[in-house]
Amino acid sequence: MTVFVCRDTFEGILCGVYDGWTSGLGHDNVCLEIEDTGNVRMFADYRRVEEEDWKFLRVEEAVIRRAGRKTCGMVYRASLSREEEKADRIYRFLIYALSAGRDAAERLQIPAVNAVFQMNRSVENEANRLIEFLRFRQIAGGALLAVAAPKNDVIALTVPHFVDRMNAENWIICDKNRRKAAVHRSMGSTVTVHIPDGAFWEKLAEPGDQQEFEELWKTFCRSIAIGQRTNPRCQMNHLPLRYRPYMTEFT
Amino acid sequence: MWIQENMELNEKLEILADAAKYDVSCTSSGSERRGKPGQLGNAVKAGICHSFSADGRCISLLKILFTNQCVYDCRYCINRRSNDVRRAAFTPEEVCRLTVEFYRRNYIEGLFLSSGVLESPDHTMDLLFQTLWKLRCEYGFNGYIHVKAIPGADPELIRMTGLLADRMSVNLELPTSEGLRMLAPSKSRSRILAPMRQIQRGIAAGKQEIVPRKGFRSFVPAGQSTQMIVGATRDSDFQLLAVAEALYRNYEMKRVFYSAFVRVNDDSLLPALPGGPPLLREHRLYQADWLMRFYGFRADELLTEDRPNFNLFLDPKCDWALRNMNRFPIEVNTADYAELLRVPGIGVRSARRIIAARRGSRLDFPDLKKMGVVLKRAAFFLTCGGRMMYPVRMDADAVAARLVGEEQRRAWDIEHRDAYRQMSMFDDGFLNPAPAPEDAGSVLSGQM
Ligand code: SF4
Repeated sequence: MTVFVCRDTFEGILCGVYDGWTSGLGHDNVCLEIEDTGNVRMFADYRRVEEEDWKFLRVEEAVIRRAGRKTCGMVYRASLSREEEKADRIYRFLIYALSAGRDAAERLQIPAVNAVFQMNRSVENEANRLIEFLRFRQIAGGALLAVAAPKNDVIALTVPHFVDRMNAENWIICDKNRRKAAVHRSMGSTVTVHIPDGAFWEKLAEPGDQQEFEELWKTFCRSIAIGQRTNPRCQMNHLPLRYRPYMTEFT
Repeated sequence: MWIQENMELNEKLEILADAAKYDVSCTSSGSERRGKPGQLGNAVKAGICHSFSADGRCISLLKILFTNQCVYDCRYCINRRSNDVRRAAFTPEEVCRLTVEFYRRNYIEGLFLSSGVLESPDHTMDLLFQTLWKLRCEYGFNGYIHVKAIPGADPELIRMTGLLADRMSVNLELPTSEGLRMLAPSKSRSRILAPMRQIQRGIAAGKQEIVPRKGFRSFVPAGQSTQMIVGATRDSDFQLLAVAEALYRNYEMKRVFYSAFVRVNDDSLLPALPGGPPLLREHRLYQADWLMRFYGFRADELLTEDRPNFNLFLDPKCDWALRNMNRFPIEVNTADYAELLRVPGIGVRSARRIIAARRGSRLDFPDLKKMGVVLKRAAFFLTCGGRMMYPVRMDADAVAARLVGEEQRRAWDIEHRDAYRQMSMFDDGFLNPAPAPEDAGSVLSGQM
């Protein structure tokens, strides 16, 4: 078995697919792994994937041409999954999808398709949840700051939504787990930055400006519930506990 | 200074959110609108839920009354004139600031503005119009707005307000004229239906415009909705459902909402409801409503004059299937979409997935599970490649016994406010929960 080790990015994984595919070893004798996942196999031959733009573009282009844009989007979202085996699952899926064509992604009865479908789905779900549950607070200078701790790498998927609706605001969305943030400038561009500095992350917990609106929101959430229908279990199912530490109305 | 002012605002919000909470239509769906440079907000077709309150219902809009003062005295309403409750009224500025500041923080999708009738319908409608105008034109708010049309108000005021809103609604509240006469003597069927008709015509006229006039807003682009109270009168489920069907057909409603009656006033004409609000009835009505809107069922297939109420132990789709066993089993690999939708345990999404997947290869029972089909229910009504999952053929009674066991537990859960678990709208327990559609909170229905 030859293991191709790639970086934990969409580009990295697609370059891995390229290397594995063109290695001439045969699909059954290669597998893809994300770097630093810590599974070392005894009798495997490890090779580092050399990342090149042209490799990535070749694979992406092939996916779009042979399996369609929708399928390519699905692979992109699957690449943001927290699953350690995602790289190899994507590889197995593409082996099938590039020969089966545009409907490939709909054959859920095929295990390789189902595996990527599930990852795509849970990434999409989490991104949607974040769009719903993310809370901004106002910090000095009127900018808005939101902090989240998503399981999958989904901040990038929420950015277009907030850019469209809040283009005139300055805002930052922080991913605490990956120490990165999307930063948007009013009427300007949005960039993703890595912030390794621990002090920055400590400071995030400090209270912001205009807290009266946070209090008003809590008042609203309390008043809008119907006492005779109290149903914590239902509330829990729709709004899992793990989101609540970052939500104004639960703090 | 702001503390004083803010405390006041806080108290107003407490009173006017509390007074609005019995209106259940808190969805932000139906409008798709991009952001505008320099403005705040956009609208997303499916709507977005932002939180869930302690009763498990979704919070999507800042749902408030402009004022809870009211010149009328509807018997079921907490805000009726004869009640001794704290009264308050917002100013248009206050509503605008709350909406914008909440929206910037991603608390809400927009505003739901209703009101008690202050002085007269015209005066009230004018206040709602002024508020919306300020919010759209002075505050540059481009998010979602749902506003009530006040029955009896000048149609021109309603029209102008509708040009600023996404959705408008007039609540029917009670399905029959007799019910209205008894519990809301100042309202009448015709007074409620008139603005509904006006809104419907306004929407239809807007759709006729081939090229949207630049700079002109469209009228109520997200359509209209209405609400009926369940269990305040003796009306049967069939009456409620038949009225809902007529509203969808004749008034082109986007949604009809059902609100389990909460007895807030001690009034001899109101039912006692010792078991609390009729939540299971409400749930069954929502299920049936889904069946009518997305599954191609008619009201009279689900209920009839002789069987006017829902089976408490079976969801309406299972109940229908058991009464129509002669139509089953159907073959998964050849049945069309409409036939698949009629199978208990197959929802809109799983039916679509089946159709897409079977182009590749023949499907068998284990594959169906991957499509999100609930085999516990569906197995009795399907064949795969001519075979049934269980080799013995069962009659309706035997199948019912199997289905009731499962459903009874869920029904029990609902009345005990413990349910809603595996009940997202189109999906089921097998797949990860679907991206919670915003109305899943209040409006649930199982994979039916
Ligand atoms: S008109 Fe509306 S607010 Fe006034 S009493 Fe009747 S239901 Fe309540």
